[in-house]
Amino acid sequence: MGSFEYYKPESIAEAMALMEESGGKGVYIAGGTDVMVLIRQRKLSPGCLISLRNIGDLAYLDTSSGLAIGSGVTHNAIAKNDIIQTKYTALADATSKVGSLQIRNIATMGGNICNAAPSADTACPLLVLDARVVMAGKNGERSVPIDEFFLGPNRVALRPGEIVKGFEMPAFNERTGSAYIKHTRRQAMDLPMLGVAARVTIRIDGDQIGCRDALCGIENISDILKRFEDEKLVCEDVRIAMGVVAPRPMRAKKAEGALKGRVISEVLLQEIGEIAASECQPRDSIRGEAWYRRDMVKVLTKRAILRVVDRIIRPDDTIWPERLW
Amino acid sequence: MKKEITFIVNNEKIAIEADPKWTLLYVLREVLEMTGTKEGCGYGECGACTVIIDGQAVNSCLYPVMEAEGRNILTIEGLMTKDGELDPIQKAFVDEGAVQCGFCIPGMIMSAKALLDRKPKPTEDEIKESIEGNLCRCTGYVKITDAIRSAAGGR
Amino acid sequence: MDGLKFVGKRIPKKDAPLKATGEAIYIQDLKLPGMLHGKILYSKYPHARILKLDTSRAAALPGVKAVLTGADVPNNFKFGFMKDNPPLKSGKVLSTRDEIAAVAAISQEVAEEAIDLIDVEYEELPGIFDPLEAMQEGASLIHEELKSNVLKLPWKFVHGDVEASRKDSAFIAEDSFTTQWVTHCCLGTSGCVASFDVGNNLTMYSNTQIPSLAQNDFLEALKAFGLKNRRVRIVQTTIGGGFGSKLDTYAYEYIAILLALKTRRPVKLVFSREEEFLATSPRQPTITKISQGCDKDGKLTFREIEMVLDNGAYTSWGATTPSVMMVPISSLYKVPNVKYTAKCVYTNNTYSQAFRGYGNPQATFAIESCLDQLAEKAGVDPVEIRRINANEPGEVTPQNFRITSCGMKECIDEVVKRLDWKNKCGRGDGRGVGMASLIHVGGAARVYKSDGCGTIIKVDDNGKVDVITGSSEIGQGSDTIIAQIVAEVLGVSIDDINVINNDTDVCPWDVGVHASRTTFVAGNSALGAAQKIKAQIMDIAAKTLSEPVDALDMKDGVIFSRNDKEKNIPLGKVLRKAHYTLGGRMLVAENFYDPPNENFDQTFRGNLSVAYAYGAHGVEVEVDRETGQVKILNYVAAHDVGKAINPMLLEGQIYGGGLQGIGEPGLVPTAPAIANAVYDAVGVRIKDLPITPEKVLRALKEKAGQKT
Repeated sequence: MGSFEYYKPESIAEAMALMEESGGKGVYIAGGTDVMVLIRQRKLSPGCLISLRNIGDLAYLDTSSGLAIGSGVTHNAIAKNDIIQTKYTALADATSKVGSLQIRNIATMGGNICNAAPSADTACPLLVLDARVVMAGKNGERSVPIDEFFLGPNRVALRPGEIVKGFEMPAFNERTGSAYIKHTRRQAMDLPMLGVAARVTIRIDGDQIGCRDALCGIENISDILKRFEDEKLVCEDVRIAMGVVAPRPMRAKKAEGALKGRVISEVLLQEIGEIAASECQPRDSIRGEAWYRRDMVKVLTKRAILRVVDRIIRPDDTIWPERLW
Repeated sequence: MKKEITFIVNNEKIAIEADPKWTLLYVLREVLEMTGTKEGCGYGECGACTVIIDGQAVNSCLYPVMEAEGRNILTIEGLMTKDGELDPIQKAFVDEGAVQCGFCIPGMIMSAKALLDRKPKPTEDEIKESIEGNLCRCTGYVKITDAIRSAAGGR
Repeated sequence: MDGLKFVGKRIPKKDAPLKATGEAIYIQDLKLPGMLHGKILYSKYPHARILKLDTSRAAALPGVKAVLTGADVPNNFKFGFMKDNPPLKSGKVLSTRDEIAAVAAISQEVAEEAIDLIDVEYEELPGIFDPLEAMQEGASLIHEELKSNVLKLPWKFVHGDVEASRKDSAFIAEDSFTTQWVTHCCLGTSGCVASFDVGNNLTMYSNTQIPSLAQNDFLEALKAFGLKNRRVRIVQTTIGGGFGSKLDTYAYEYIAILLALKTRRPVKLVFSREEEFLATSPRQPTITKISQGCDKDGKLTFREIEMVLDNGAYTSWGATTPSVMMVPISSLYKVPNVKYTAKCVYTNNTYSQAFRGYGNPQATFAIESCLDQLAEKAGVDPVEIRRINANEPGEVTPQNFRITSCGMKECIDEVVKRLDWKNKCGRGDGRGVGMASLIHVGGAARVYKSDGCGTIIKVDDNGKVDVITGSSEIGQGSDTIIAQIVAEVLGVSIDDINVINNDTDVCPWDVGVHASRTTFVAGNSALGAAQKIKAQIMDIAAKTLSEPVDALDMKDGVIFSRNDKEKNIPLGKVLRKAHYTLGGRMLVAENFYDPPNENFDQTFRGNLSVAYAYGAHGVEVEVDRETGQVKILNYVAAHDVGKAINPMLLEGQIYGGGLQGIGEPGLVPTAPAIANAVYDAVGVRIKDLPITPEKVLRALKEKAGQKT
């Protein structure tokens, strides 16, 4: 391993200047939980490392209107934030499940996204939460929807020298919730075999007492969904995103289209799962076989939507009937 | 290419000439010859290298030493009092039979320490979360969680 | 209950404070003056001819002190159980972990850089990765000089008449089961430091589980390297996990020796985590064909097993695991007729080794899974079939094991009770229970010529006791067990006892840490030594106090007369008296304990162990029918452990074993208990380990007639 300089700029401008000086040979490093591994594996030999850890402008977390998170905020800070836990739950789900506590204490969401692994846990929540990626460059700031940010495995829409400054998400109404389900072999310290996120806005015509009761008491998913159908629980808006089942994290747009505006029922969710599965292109890998991943898209899509509806209807009551899943 | 950096390890101010490519783990073990912190994998997967930096449990194998500048680092060597008294967490690990081959134990104890410093009466889930990044191959974890619970006065 | 002060008590492990403070020195932590760092280059392909191997660029790198290739191994030296493994390979590589070159350099970093500078050209050859394919007629030979890929090993056991009883059986279950590689994955990776003195005597700092046997292996190597009549000293650093991985000697150790010899400096060679996965030997994968029969009441009539083991490209002691597999095959439950054959087969895979249980888990997976199948055919409850056939005290099994105590039924009943078996079995609603039993050697196992362990005890002038034992401490707590036993006999405190167990220059012989033998054999050895030294002490005290020996007792470091409490003397004073009297003496005792167990005869009969350990495990699982995921809701392990010298350390062994697949007997029945529970829960039987969600879901879909 050749030696290299390690710079600790304190502003975005300074970091970009250092990158320019390095002639593009420098590598930005945030938490370093990916970069340090690549260096150790000799897959990366940087001309210099430019640390983003000491830049105050990347460390914001603003919940005053919508959600704005600086790229330098750690997974643990996001996972433990009350507002994110209640209003951007999918993101709390994902950030609380990345690596271990030691990793989450230093790994940043900016790093997770810029690394653009198909298995990046935070990608799916950002997709369903309509996030925009804010980038800082020589000519000022620009932003793109997260969906346009991922170009392929480890490829993102950053121009040379640009830095991801943060992520912006709109505010959602009270009838909206979100969830991310990470499917793994081990419960901790594992990359997802696949991940599915959903955001759903429901239309509430009545008091939905039947739905609430069902969610509190019934063990069987079919019976719960029957109740949803009886009470005409309509899915007003929906986003579904899938990870590890395509070269990049992706939305299941056809499935979203098929669910939007319709009454949630078991048959429909089955259908939505099938559509989502038809949209993805999973591969066989050591972590899971393609047929299994495709099958799990069906199952997890259904479960994610159900979990979201539960969170909307029972915001304070997070105890699930033990047998549900 | 080496740069002088200073930081605090176990309440002692340290100044070293650091190669920017070094990890904190490398510096602890090879430069400062504090071998209590272990390397089990070098990739942040096993937690044997866990130390506490400014109150947070961190994998020192992934931590660039240049980021340690000015920070306060606590390692397993810093837990025992000057007159050789074990930290209550260390004592609990010994008394509860949580130590077998012992290779994971310094990291495990540092993770537990970070938790109990922050939250003296943790929940069961918090105990599990605190050591989810610490692999042990001998104990099956039961006596390790017993020890953390006992250190928290929960038994 | 019995007035014991230390034995049977939950005494914390003696070395735990050292480990909990980070003071314990593992091989990773060891530094010697002038020490170099070694690094190995492994083959890029599993099977290839080496066309070119150019080390000149590596040798020219500043800081590199030696570069070795196969050409540098003297006298075509090979090691291993079949002596088929050269430390550095030349000409052809047979697996991806084949060592083809090594360097020693002034730092780890330079060594790594040098490895990158070695130029190799290969001609890739087709490989054989399936043992069944390797056994086929006309399969190309892994070792060209041999006639067959099947190793010449005698694994066959026959008892009674299986064919006849097959005909007479009311029910027969027959199936095939496979198990996979499992890596020990010790948290502390493998490593050693090799160092020669001026007279070419070798000191190996090592984390071996078999100091005495390793010493022998290295002596043989030195002889092959032209160093006859030298000494080898093994010093064990604190061992970061064993589980059977260190029951043999490995190429890296011989490479370190060769590098140290060439450079005349100590050479440290410690595996990275990648190397630990790549270049250590996992548990043997097995393909098992099993049939078992019973009469109309569920009583077992026969058991027949044919097994194929993937040996990999070279042979370790692990190739002897079929001899231990015979233990459950012949003697788990009462089976009157038994036939077992096993073939170890060379392939281009990594070569395998012993792993905790030494073959027992693979065999028990097939036996206990198939037993549930048989129970179903016979219409007998899984618990009942186990109770009907359970082993009993006084029994002599087909292999001539003399069963002394046996709590198998009690273990089964305990599992049934704690799992609420009756209410939880057979519901088929996604939750289910399963059970499996185990037999393992519990009173050592005579797999080597000697099954013994030596102890030397010396007592110093101040009443402190040094116990020098052959047994190794690998985390299981042997240091503490031995201290407890000696403290009990001598009536001194645990803290007064220092256990020395890591240096062949001072420690007596021991066959190694395996077969759950250490507490029993090393414990008995220490007990004998303690009694001998106590007799010496009492003799002197009797003279000093003018009291008969049999009136004396020792407690808390003081010897006193039971007749007259006034007549007492501190231990230290007795010792000083012995020492400083004209013509004085040292207080030292030695004892060698070799249990009265038997080597197998040529038909694999013999009382291998003086006691057998029994147990039963039960598990309740929940299977997610949509994802195939299996969740363990409850796990009950019941073991007949005899008297626990230290219940706390024993619990640690069982908890730890449970996790690994679940001490040593602890992990044997885990996999079949879970497989049986999955079957009870959702009606699909997984016969191929590991039990993955994919396999469960695929089986569920097949059962429902769906495609995957």
